[in-house]
Amino acid sequence: MKLRGIKPMEGEHVNVTPLIDVVMCLIIFFLLVGHIAKKASIKGIKIPTTVTGKSIGSQSNQLIINIVPRSGGGQGYQGRPRIYIWGQYYSYDNLASVLREYKSHNPNLKLVIRADVSTPYRYIAPVLVACAKAKIVSVHFMTQRQG
Amino acid sequence: MALKRSKIGMHSATHVGPNMTPMVDVVMVILIFFMLGSSFTSPVWYLTNNTPAIRGGFSDVKTTKFPPVKLIIKLDRRGNHTMATIGSFQTENLKGGLYQWLNKRRKTLGKKTQLIIKPHQSVPYRDVITVYADCVRARYHQVAFGMPTH
Repeated sequence: MKLRGIKPMEGEHVNVTPLIDVVMCLIIFFLLVGHIAKKASIKGIKIPTTVTGKSIGSQSNQLIINIVPRSGGGQGYQGRPRIYIWGQYYSYDNLASVLREYKSHNPNLKLVIRADVSTPYRYIAPVLVACAKAKIVSVHFMTQRQG
Repeated sequence: MALKRSKIGMHSATHVGPNMTPMVDVVMVILIFFMLGSSFTSPVWYLTNNTPAIRGGFSDVKTTKFPPVKLIIKLDRRGNHTMATIGSFQTENLKGGLYQWLNKRRKTLGKKTQLIIKPHQSVPYRDVITVYADCVRARYHQVAFGMPTH
């Protein structure tokens, strides 16, 4: 019986087309992920470090609230921090209604609070109150792994 | 004749075409840059809280059933330090002393005890999270936050 094998390639060049396809897909993936991560997390926030914590499995229903200090944080904390969600500024006054709207679109919403280490608690508590008013019972505090 | 023409076409396609080597080089460098760049970012993890609201504290929201035993952790500012007070116990050592005390008490009170963290309005977020991490590490399942005290 004669077996039909793959015909040998003509010429001596390696076919790089599949390699370029895969590599291009990977580059586009990294570019998109980088863009999304940049949009979700605002710079200028030094998150606290903890010895305990866990990773969130799926990040699909995640909503990050960035509490950004006005004066760059540190000892001389001045003024009310700004709240950013997906790169958009929200005031403390309408935060509860905004969260309610997010919750209505996604009942399995996982809320992540990302705040600067020096933020006084008086600016954190209203965010927790807004979460409670929006009936969001699962709140995560983003921290940095110690060590 | 047609067969001949197609053979000629195939033969020329293998030799005529852009040189892909520089492009593959550049693309590979970009890919390695992205992969290394993503691995250098600091790892984050999360402290999960399922009881952010307390009855009578945060408006009219009632999120959970409350167990009978409650411990209130008051956090006050003393100069540049934060002092934790639970009943007659006081400590400035938020990472070590407080955790040990909570861990010891859990064995007698049980892990269903509810802890309520009541920080002063000026207590920094870092200390609030440290205390909360102590509670999680000591395996308390019900930890809530109260309104800031003045």
